[in-house]
Amino acid sequence: MGGFLPPAEGRSSALLGLYAVVSLLLLVTGERLPTEALRGVGAWVFAPLDRVVLIGDRIASSWRENQHLRQRVTELELENVKLRDAAVENQQLREELQLPLWHGLPLKPVEILALSGEPIPVSALLSAGRRQGVQTGDAALTRDGLLGRVGESYPSYSRVVLLTDPNSAVACEVESTGVLGVLHFFTAPKPRLMLTGVPLADTVRTGERVVTSGLSLRYPRGILVGTVSKVGKDPSGLVQDLEIEPAARLSRLRHGFVIPGPKALEGGP
Amino acid sequence: MRILGAFAWFMLVTLLLRSTALTALAARGLVFDVLAFATVVWALRWGESWGVSFGFALGLAADLDAAHWLGRHALALALIGYTVGRLSHTLVRDRARVQAVLILLATVLHQSWAACFEIGKLTGWPYVLERVALAAVVTAPVGTFLLALVRRASGQPLFTHAAVEPGPTG
Repeated sequence: MGGFLPPAEGRSSALLGLYAVVSLLLLVTGERLPTEALRGVGAWVFAPLDRVVLIGDRIASSWRENQHLRQRVTELELENVKLRDAAVENQQLREELQLPLWHGLPLKPVEILALSGEPIPVSALLSAGRRQGVQTGDAALTRDGLLGRVGESYPSYSRVVLLTDPNSAVACEVESTGVLGVLHFFTAPKPRLMLTGVPLADTVRTGERVVTSGLSLRYPRGILVGTVSKVGKDPSGLVQDLEIEPAARLSRLRHGFVIPGPKALEGGP
Repeated sequence: MRILGAFAWFMLVTLLLRSTALTALAARGLVFDVLAFATVVWALRWGESWGVSFGFALGLAADLDAAHWLGRHALALALIGYTVGRLSHTLVRDRARVQAVLILLATVLHQSWAACFEIGKLTGWPYVLERVALAAVVTAPVGTFLLALVRRASGQPLFTHAAVEPGPTG
């Protein structure tokens, strides 16, 4: 075939053939290739540039955010007074019932430098890595709710697998009733977060908050994930289809926090 | 050497835009397919050899940025780069209508191919069609407008010398 073509066209056709074969090979074997190191290099190259590109956007939004945060701080301070009273009461009751006491979560602030995936982001690049104590498996969240977990940790950066990654699964419970389920992201028939495995017998209403459950091996209990936005029946008729509106705005992420996974919090490996 | 520098620079800018401003826009429903747009522009400017190489390299970098399906963008963009590069010899490349049609077709092809990997079931096709149509409707006019802006700013045609530039192997 190449002999019938002029030299330049032959070269470009050969290149196309080569690239097509390499692409197809990568599609077949790519999942088994160790790409984490390459992504680490990519993060190292792009993260400083991402920071520069985002400066304008962040300066413009920081003024607005600052006003909003001042108002929020005041509201929270008022709420905090009531909660302190409730905490004292809760501690006394737990001691009487001999239940373990609740401990706060250590929050490590991070900057979110870039999002990957379109139109819905599936991963985010964080400004902290192993040197800053961020480990693979740590949970990532914003003040609004859970983002996902750290999937890859590089020396100075790390990558978070967001809730919207189709391979992500989070053990959750409905806050008010304790109904258990597993959160998955589905792309068909339309992109949505679903709480799966909830039996029909369990009563769940729209607007109820969904948090990480104590059954989760990767996330500490009680982190807000979202709210139930739609209640339906699975085509099998055995379980419910619960659509979840994520609490964190996954499309506009600037700052977040990393907390160690439950095993690290317990002092395990 | 100059072309290699431009190659790396154009790729870097495209990937940066994709991971910052355009991701935020995409999440609001405004999908500007910067990968397809950049590949079309590069292939129109430098012909099929550079077009196919640019598409492949850009696609591979985009694939590495995601966790799954390595080679997905690389294959589609290499094909787009090659096809547009071949067509660039016969088309009037500086005509806005030609650019709009090429960007539109490239976006439709790239978005359809990329969506096939994400939507496993047939029930997802209405969403795929909506996503592809939206990306094409946004990318073609915005891309053509951007090219017109650059042409006006530079004061000369953008795509003059594709046929005389040697490819990456030549």
